[in-house]
Amino acid sequence: MPAGIDPRLLEILVCPLTKEPLRYDAGAQELISDAARLAYPIRDGIPIMLVDEARNLDEPTAKAKR
Amino acid sequence: MEEPFDRRAVRRHRDRAAATLGGHDFLLRAAVERLAERVAESGRRFPSVLVLGAAGGLLRDAVQPHADAVVEADLSFGMLRGPGVVASEELLPFAPGAFDLIVSALVLHWVNDLPGALVQARRSLRPDGMFLASMLGGETLRELRAALLSGESESRGGASPRVSPFVDVRDAGALLQRTGFARPVADVETIDVTYADPLRLMAELRGMGETNALRDRPRAFTPRSTLMAAAAAYRAHSGDAGGRIRATFQLVTLTGWAAAPRTPPEAPTEERPPAARLPRRLRPA
Repeated sequence: MPAGIDPRLLEILVCPLTKEPLRYDAGAQELISDAARLAYPIRDGIPIMLVDEARNLDEPTAKAKR
Repeated sequence: MEEPFDRRAVRRHRDRAAATLGGHDFLLRAAVERLAERVAESGRRFPSVLVLGAAGGLLRDAVQPHADAVVEADLSFGMLRGPGVVASEELLPFAPGAFDLIVSALVLHWVNDLPGALVQARRSLRPDGMFLASMLGGETLRELRAALLSGESESRGGASPRVSPFVDVRDAGALLQRTGFARPVADVETIDVTYADPLRLMAELRGMGETNALRDRPRAFTPRSTLMAAAAAYRAHSGDAGGRIRATFQLVTLTGWAAAPRTPPEAPTEERPPAARLPRRLRPA
């Protein structure tokens, strides 16, 4: 499976909480919801769109929330 | 609001089942077959399809001939087979009007807020987009429910919730309408299966990822005395002449349409009676 995210997916994905568009951070492999202050990880090209697995942008040093 | 299901347990069960699904997919195959029939009956070609509940790729394979692009979504990473996302049916991460068809196999009966999930699915559809979902209905595992109840009250003098409250087919049809789908249809089919013994049934449920994920489920290990009493009760009430036990599964197939612009979703709910389809007797190897 290619590491990059499918560009078609990027077009249709929104934040599951706010339904707002996401910013794609290709370096960090994250989809960022500025409104929800959450970053959703992309693993092996698969976006993990779960609030439980998202990184809180206001706790930049903390590990992903469990 | 008290949520009936522990979604983390649902996810764990699906993660675990992703590796074993192939040996325990008779129900999934039946569900996918019904969904594929309805996709074909629509006579349409769908540019963009969401498969909600990836079903180890079975549903993708079934809809691919009628679609240009298929995206899978599942609570479990391991269930995905093609392009897709890990997502919760309760919080869909898709833009309005992203899809022309949403098909879902055997995941919506584990959702806490079914009306909320249906509304989100509808919003993810283009106007006149099609929604198709197969979920387990109220008669599912009625023998097991009764046997556990009886086994537990005999051995411990009490009962705890062990089998999900599945949706009633009438409620499901009404719910589609209430959540804004046009021309809703709820279809029901009963599938009777036999097993050598109750433990084989439990192993099958585990293999499918369908074991108890109720929030109020007993967390302690179930005492052997309770299991033995339940197994005896199962055999006594639902054993057949050949020494096997019966298990009922009920598949509810929902069809609805996202309303076209300015078409109010007021078509009456059409419900085919349960007798419309003959029960099938399946006997897994």
